[in-house]
Amino acid sequence: MSLKGTDTRPDESVIVELRHITKRFPGIVANDDVTISVKKGEIYALLGENGAGKSTLMSMLYGMYEPDHGEIYVRGKKMHFRSPAEAAEENIGMVHQHFRLVENFTVGENIVLGVETVKRVGIFPVLSMKGAYDRIRELSKSFGLEVDPEDLISELGVSARQRVEIMKMLYREAEILIFDEPTAILTPQEVEALLKIMEELRRSGKTIILITHKIEEIRKVADRCAILRRGKLIDVLKVQDASTQEMANLMVGRNVVLNAEKPAPHFGETVLEVEKLCVRNEDRVQVVRGVSLKVRAGEIFAVAGVSGNGQTELADAIAGLRKAESGSIRLMGKDISRESIRERNGSGISYIPEDRQKYGLFLDFNLRSNLCLRRYFKAPFSRQGILNEAEAERYARDLVEKYDIRSGQGTETQVRSMSGGNQQKAIVGREIEEHSPLVIFVQPTRGLDMGAIENIHRQILRERERGAAILLISLELDEVMELADTIGVIYNGQLLKTADAGSLTSHEVGRYMMGVSG
Amino acid sequence: MNYIESMITDGLAFGLPLFIMALGGIFSEKSGVTNLAVEGFQGFGAFVGAFLATVLSLKTPLGSQIILYLAIAAAFLGGALYASLHALLCIRFDADQVISGVVINILGVALTTFLTSQINGFLFGNASNKFILDSSFRFSVPLLSNIPILGAVFRNIYPFEILILILGLYFWYLMYKTRFGMHLRASGENPHALDSAGGNVRRTRFLSVMLSGGLSGIGGMCIAYSLLLQYSPSIYLGYGYLAIAAMIFGNWNIVPTFFVCIFFGLARAGGYQLCLFMKLSSRYTDLFMTIPYILTLVLLVFFSKRSHPPRAAGQPYDKGER
Repeated sequence: MSLKGTDTRPDESVIVELRHITKRFPGIVANDDVTISVKKGEIYALLGENGAGKSTLMSMLYGMYEPDHGEIYVRGKKMHFRSPAEAAEENIGMVHQHFRLVENFTVGENIVLGVETVKRVGIFPVLSMKGAYDRIRELSKSFGLEVDPEDLISELGVSARQRVEIMKMLYREAEILIFDEPTAILTPQEVEALLKIMEELRRSGKTIILITHKIEEIRKVADRCAILRRGKLIDVLKVQDASTQEMANLMVGRNVVLNAEKPAPHFGETVLEVEKLCVRNEDRVQVVRGVSLKVRAGEIFAVAGVSGNGQTELADAIAGLRKAESGSIRLMGKDISRESIRERNGSGISYIPEDRQKYGLFLDFNLRSNLCLRRYFKAPFSRQGILNEAEAERYARDLVEKYDIRSGQGTETQVRSMSGGNQQKAIVGREIEEHSPLVIFVQPTRGLDMGAIENIHRQILRERERGAAILLISLELDEVMELADTIGVIYNGQLLKTADAGSLTSHEVGRYMMGVSG
Repeated sequence: MNYIESMITDGLAFGLPLFIMALGGIFSEKSGVTNLAVEGFQGFGAFVGAFLATVLSLKTPLGSQIILYLAIAAAFLGGALYASLHALLCIRFDADQVISGVVINILGVALTTFLTSQINGFLFGNASNKFILDSSFRFSVPLLSNIPILGAVFRNIYPFEILILILGLYFWYLMYKTRFGMHLRASGENPHALDSAGGNVRRTRFLSVMLSGGLSGIGGMCIAYSLLLQYSPSIYLGYGYLAIAAMIFGNWNIVPTFFVCIFFGLARAGGYQLCLFMKLSSRYTDLFMTIPYILTLVLLVFFSKRSHPPRAAGQPYDKGER
């Protein structure tokens, strides 16, 4: 059943109504005539790819932006929110994708920030925290939200921080709770706990708006689901009547292959052999502690783990961005642990870094220069230190065509102005084109939308077919499960479990990611 | 009075003004505005205070002690006013905070030197670049000051030393026990958190920078009264930068910074006394006066790695950035 969200009859149960909302930013229409209505006490999902306009739409309900056209009604009253504070007065709260917490404050201080209670001591007004802490403990009990007001934020993990954000809303007596991509950074177990909390909140009469691009969680908790694509409302579905495939197709706008076909593996010789590798981070803390792994030709070895368990440093040490403290790194039998980055590249490493804007590209250079980064210093791209632009242009055009890199002005485009997906395509294209025996992908699909993710996954599988050894480091468990031949779960700098991908379920991997062994 | 006792007395008389400047630096930086402008703030504040003192002693029958207090109050206001320029550049116009700080310092020297000679020309018909100040009265605490050696703490105290201690206490309370202080610290760590919680980042920062200027101004005025006995361009001797160094060693926390400042004061006075003790010619005093700066360099080596500046310091607040 499909309910086009254009119904504007007054309805007692409707708590939030957005009518004909349009919002433009320079160059794009983020929301184009979107009309939705949310009922009190339901979990209403907003489904869409990155850039579909979900967050923008909710930012307007939360008072962070004002719409160019259209009206916002809350409990039947027309609203003109100019700041989050004004939205909060209407009992609207939001958990942002990036938490807004003060690291060196306690949980309690973060929760009361902005709504402090002040008592007088003599002539001096003094913050009174004790009553607040008691109330937080009470709320924590009644909603099953585990937070201790006296903990320091800097000592908490992501899911605890998220609970603090939720508690912030509850403390302010929010009735309409907006969650912006809340599960992007959680492990499967944490996701389940969060979905339980949401159900608990719904039971107590709160209204929840869930922004997400993961259909699975919508299926689990949401009542209705609005699908946005390129700023337009495509459809509003009742979740129990819709199929996953239907939602995916509506979201992307074409038929989506939900699980890429993965041909049977053909493993060859060992390409990368890491032995007892230890790496320290900037604060001299040992974050990789005795990691050993082997990757064979034609094999995708995926390192799964919660962010901050040493996986970035592991990849950096192999690529040469960071010095290994001890242990050895052998590439096709040759110890490369003392080689420079360029020497390692020459020995046969391609590297797609985690932070593409910081380590993958020169954002202010054009696409041509960025595509030639692996070759500009060699003939025929330069001779006697003089660049041959014509050769570079020819090569760059080839790559643009081959890897379908889209940009405003072709090879002349400044990379900064390109979309994240196309920036990533450029890096992947540049690195793959080297036909290296070892390709390291670190978080290759971070922040990309479904179409771009499909594309990158196809490239990774193609490399595997070619016979490259692939080290994939990913925080996305789905990605790991989908692509890996072998999975190594990293926890606290150690590979807690290494096993054939077929022998592990995503739940088992999730448990290892939390440090539970056996 | 022996050398050690002199070192203590002089050390406190220098360390406490240094502390109030460092406290100013802390207020600005904890709110998220990098403050290299302490030097300029203290000089400008002292200029306004000294100007008022000169006019008052010329035109009114007020006693020099009253004038001292009024001058300190004026230095606070003058420093705060001048600091609002830094705040305007950094907060309203999102200027680079380091560059703004440097500009504020350079402008301060030029502006106050020019104005001093203009005012002197107008008041006395003599375009000198100094305002001569009456020497401050000093007092000793009976009994306590008779304790050997440590009694020096209670001897020959400038009244402003007591004032600085009281202000230090008050501003500690303001920073850690009030709503304003909480918002100030939040806007220096994560302004987005404060903004989405309904606080006002820009207003909090603006006020903090003005307080910073006011406190620095008091520091400058005290230095003028104790060390220099006049207001002149020699007020720009770099004590503002020394205060910034103290703030960094104190890790942007008020209590440790207090002790660092006292330590700097003792080191400086100790160097001078050492010079006297060794009966060296006065040509060497300048050499010994470099001790606090050399200490700064040495300490920087050890402390730089472990210092944790406020996370958002130096970044203009941009609402849209996510």
